[in-house]
Amino acid sequence: MYKKNSKISIKSYINFSELLKEYRGTHEENRLFALKHEALLPNPKQILLAWMEKNSFRKSKKSETQTLIQKFSTLSNFIGLFSLIFGFLAGLGLLSYSGHAPVNVIYYLLFAMFIPLLSMIISMVSLLSSGTVFNAFSLFFPLHWIETVLNFFSFRDKIDVFNTLFSDELKKWMFMNRLQLFSLLFSIGLLFALLVIVVSKDVAFSWSTTLNVSNIDFFKLLACIGFPWGHTLPSAIPSVELIEMSHYYRLGENLNTQMIQNADKLGAWWKYLAMVTLFYAIFLRFLLWLATRYGFQKQLKKDFLELDGVEKLLREFNTPFVSTESPKEEKHLEIVKESDEQVAYAVAKVYETIIGWNFSKDEILLLNDAKGISSSKISTVGGNNSFSEDQKIAKEARAEVILYVKSWEPPTMDFVDFLEELLANDNVEEIQVYPLGTVGRNYESDEREVAIWKRKIQGLKSKKVWVIDV
Amino acid sequence: MYSSEESLNNDYPKFAVVGHPNKGKSSIVSSLALDDSVQIGDTPGTTQVKRGFPLKVDGKVIYELFDTPGFQRARRVLSWLNDQEPVSADKKGDVVRAFIAVHRDDERFIDEIELLEPIMNGAGIIYVVDASKPYGSEYETEMEILRWCGQPSMAILNLIGEENYTEQWKSALGHYFRMVRTFNPIKATFIEHIELLDSMSQLKEEWTKPIKVAIKVLEDLQDQKIEQTVDSIVSNMVKTLSYVHRQKIVGESATTDEEEKLKLSYREKIIKFEKEQEQNIESIWNHRSIEKVENMLVLDNVGLFSKESASIFGLSQQQLIITGASAGAMGGLGIDLLLGGGSLFLGSFIGGAVGGVGAMMGFDNLYEVKVLGQSIGKRELSVGPMKNLNFPYILLGRSLYHASVIAKRSHAMRGDIDLEQEEFLTEQIIDSEMRKTLEKVHVSLRKGDEPKEEELKAYKKVLKESFLGLL
Repeated sequence: MYKKNSKISIKSYINFSELLKEYRGTHEENRLFALKHEALLPNPKQILLAWMEKNSFRKSKKSETQTLIQKFSTLSNFIGLFSLIFGFLAGLGLLSYSGHAPVNVIYYLLFAMFIPLLSMIISMVSLLSSGTVFNAFSLFFPLHWIETVLNFFSFRDKIDVFNTLFSDELKKWMFMNRLQLFSLLFSIGLLFALLVIVVSKDVAFSWSTTLNVSNIDFFKLLACIGFPWGHTLPSAIPSVELIEMSHYYRLGENLNTQMIQNADKLGAWWKYLAMVTLFYAIFLRFLLWLATRYGFQKQLKKDFLELDGVEKLLREFNTPFVSTESPKEEKHLEIVKESDEQVAYAVAKVYETIIGWNFSKDEILLLNDAKGISSSKISTVGGNNSFSEDQKIAKEARAEVILYVKSWEPPTMDFVDFLEELLANDNVEEIQVYPLGTVGRNYESDEREVAIWKRKIQGLKSKKVWVIDV
Repeated sequence: MYSSEESLNNDYPKFAVVGHPNKGKSSIVSSLALDDSVQIGDTPGTTQVKRGFPLKVDGKVIYELFDTPGFQRARRVLSWLNDQEPVSADKKGDVVRAFIAVHRDDERFIDEIELLEPIMNGAGIIYVVDASKPYGSEYETEMEILRWCGQPSMAILNLIGEENYTEQWKSALGHYFRMVRTFNPIKATFIEHIELLDSMSQLKEEWTKPIKVAIKVLEDLQDQKIEQTVDSIVSNMVKTLSYVHRQKIVGESATTDEEEKLKLSYREKIIKFEKEQEQNIESIWNHRSIEKVENMLVLDNVGLFSKESASIFGLSQQQLIITGASAGAMGGLGIDLLLGGGSLFLGSFIGGAVGGVGAMMGFDNLYEVKVLGQSIGKRELSVGPMKNLNFPYILLGRSLYHASVIAKRSHAMRGDIDLEQEEFLTEQIIDSEMRKTLEKVHVSLRKGDEPKEEELKAYKKVLKESFLGLL
């Protein structure tokens, strides 16, 4: 359920990515949605989440990816639990004390401080690097090898979904974040083991190294390591005396006398070891975990906003929807096919009657002169003539009639009405409609314009009327 | 979806585009409504019923245009109007209304009723004539009828043919219309479109404000379309230039057949990307039904990639060397600046030389074919990214040209688009300074790296400039 200020999760990321593949809405729908959620408009993440929530029902099927991610999440939880147990067992192993040889604090420090610090440095370098450097560093991590091993299994293709679904950057942050969590749990297990051992067993700590390190130098080193808590918790820093009395030499078959005499004091190391674990393995790791979590969230948000289709959605949310289309369906005109029917390809020189549709008498005379056509009876129709004038001309027409028309002016129903009156006159034997071009074109008409006249005349289905096409 | 809002606001400006049949009324409506779905034909009566084209912004109608059938029996209409009892000028509109009422079911006057109805419902009159044909007195009947309607009116001179009778028409129309404008819907630019709207806003005082709003909306829309077009081109450039096609192979090395098949798939993919981008741009500009005649993007060693001609859209070898050298020198300059000039600017010199030689060598390179070793022992063959230095300019030239043709195309135009115009040269719209900016991104993509955000921004800026130059 969408809530204001809700965060993007892997689940919502996958849902959104899958929804966008199936549905993106129209500009009109998306803009309408944005107008209804105007308060969310300044925050792209929130409005996208709200849009996803509203349209989630459009997703056609239950996502296999989602199920796979859930399985991985469960697997990851198991690995987390395993890390905790493993840390605890590792702690028990490190601190195992039989009463013969004391527990070497240097060995413990290696696990509780040096290795975690080194892995954190590698993690950070890996996070800040990319390409080849990142790939090189990833070899240090067990998960890289787990992934490599998984490639051998039949469900490899299913795992491939990670590659198509998540960007390399996101996978990196996801991987790093999980890695920090597992390490943190391991360290918590280690600390827990230390506390259990300290409470349940009487452990003698000592320090021993092959290197020639004096007690004072070792004290300085430990004080330096304990600097973060040295001022607030001075008892958790071993004193020079404690260092001197717990210096252990590997050639002594048994514990030396000094150590045995001060056996009650040797246990005081635990506070220091606990603080080292708490600060270096747990606190710093926790900070790194927080940092990778932040980085992961940031990258997830970035990738969420960069998903294919998001740019379009955001643009449509923010852009007024302008439409100019007609809501009314267009009624398409059925065009009569042109044929040679009722087409004359020659003009006679003399006609009984010459009628000009929308021509003036002067224009007709000029035209006759140009075309070499003559007649004793010349009339004008259409234009400013009255209907009674036109009717009279139609009735008086005889024999062969040539009807001049302006080719560029398509035949109107007004013209058809006149033509029908002319056709109704039994004295008229034949009517030749002559589409003429403009004076500027020497009366040459355009082929397309004549075609319009032909179609109109052919549509009348009269054998008495022809169109001249010369 | 927005019907409730629409019904609340019904006093927006309306314009009925009327006139003689076949004078380009539908073309004008199609152009103004930015809609190429309007049926336009050279057969009279193509428009049989009136159709409203409302300009809606978020569901709110700003204005509405009506495409109407042409006058068919104008003389009979005028004769009927004149035959009625003489009335004063303020009552003439009522006589026209009476005509509509009386003849609503009369088949003879279907067209006239369709065109007069929106006018009598308050629409302004836009009377369209073809000024490439001589004026005739028969038009006076139509203009007289429109005068009877008593609505604000203007005339548009549409030059359909080659002849020009504008002056003749202007002196005749001046007697009937307060405003006469020339507008060719086929060739009209966006600015001319806006100017016509501006003229329409002056027809009635109350219409000025909403039409100004509409002008602002359309200007914003135009800017958005330009932005989206440039984004689409940039995104396709990045996608295409960085594209790597991969395929698993069985053996240790790829067979010739495997290699050829992969190369073919790679080429097909690049061509598909280009087609998708073109469709995207056509949809941005609302041209949905376009048929194109264009040269196919040829991806082989000849044709577009030949040394001699490179491509009409690409750059010459000399220009490529200069571009490569300047891009290299820029890289060298970065080192010089880091060293505070201590390198005596040798970095720039060496970078320039290396870039130039690289460009020369890269002219013949197409794309890299590699066999990649996999950690689990399986092998993969990969093709790409495109190494040819001229290819980005060819692709860019083609994209810009296509986009400019689409953006400029009037919605009144029908028929195919010819995209085989040979005179279009990338070098004419992208100068050497621009090329330096472009080359930085091309270099990153060729290497398989993601270009830096600021470099992409600069790239987009250059493309926008070039695109605007073409509009």
